[in-house]
Amino acid sequence: MTREEVIKDLREKFKSDIIELFDKSPKRIYVEIKPESITKLSEFIFRNLGARFNIASGVDVRYHIEILYHFTIEEINLLISVRVKLPKDKLEIDSIANIIKGANWIEREINEMLGINFKGHPNLKKLLLPDEWPEGIYPLRRDYDEWDKNAIRDRGV
Amino acid sequence: MSLKLNALLKSPWVFHLSTGSCNNCDIEILDCLTPRFDIERFGMLLVGSIKHADVLLVTGSCNRKSAERLKRLYEQAPKPCLVVAIGECSLSRGMFIDSYNCPLPLDKIVPVSVYIPGCPPKPEAIIAGVVKLIEKVKKGT
Repeated sequence: MTREEVIKDLREKFKSDIIELFDKSPKRIYVEIKPESITKLSEFIFRNLGARFNIASGVDVRYHIEILYHFTIEEINLLISVRVKLPKDKLEIDSIANIIKGANWIEREINEMLGINFKGHPNLKKLLLPDEWPEGIYPLRRDYDEWDKNAIRDRGV
Repeated sequence: MSLKLNALLKSPWVFHLSTGSCNNCDIEILDCLTPRFDIERFGMLLVGSIKHADVLLVTGSCNRKSAERLKRLYEQAPKPCLVVAIGECSLSRGMFIDSYNCPLPLDKIVPVSVYIPGCPPKPEAIIAGVVKLIEKVKKGT
């Protein structure tokens, strides 16, 4: 399997799901897809193309929140980043933790840091933040401001 | 000077706590204890439990989760217990001062006896800090 075959495969099989396929460099492609087809596409990349799931990353880009799922195919040295854009009034997406076990913890972290609801996740509770962290406050959103009145933010000089 | 502190100076046993540091300070502490700098020859021994320790070495910027653990450890330590803050993060939280998860500096959580700045502090700086701590306790301040 070569790099061209992978791109051709993705273009043909997911013609209606892919919004844009951006060929950035010899080592990297970005695939922007519709949010509802993430399980289908990630299962195909993971099982059929033999890719490794690296990590997912969530970013608040002011107008929407986007998640990037990074997959590597090591034989051909290619990094596939699957990009999903979620509108701010409907922050939910299907969980891929049932297909890929390694996505379990990063989905929990994205859930507590950005407030995205992963539908069908087996155990969606807090991973890094303490238990007394208030509901509905997400620290990596752009509009986050301090809720804790006891916190000291000056250097004491 | 109290009898307890006098006895402590002969051989202060240390307990090492990392409250979410990047591990550089921890490596420098281990450099101090292992044969190159070898402060074990002065009786400073790393112990596995806070209940055996006289000195608590703290590295890292205390986050909301580890601050609770730090308080509990300080309660369990036999008194008098001296706290040594090692590295910029535990002194003032360093670059994490505006982080959502680091609300308080270390000395607002437990009383601190010695501050050793640096990112990470050299083993020589840690030894100098320990010497200053012993001088301070000897003078009884």
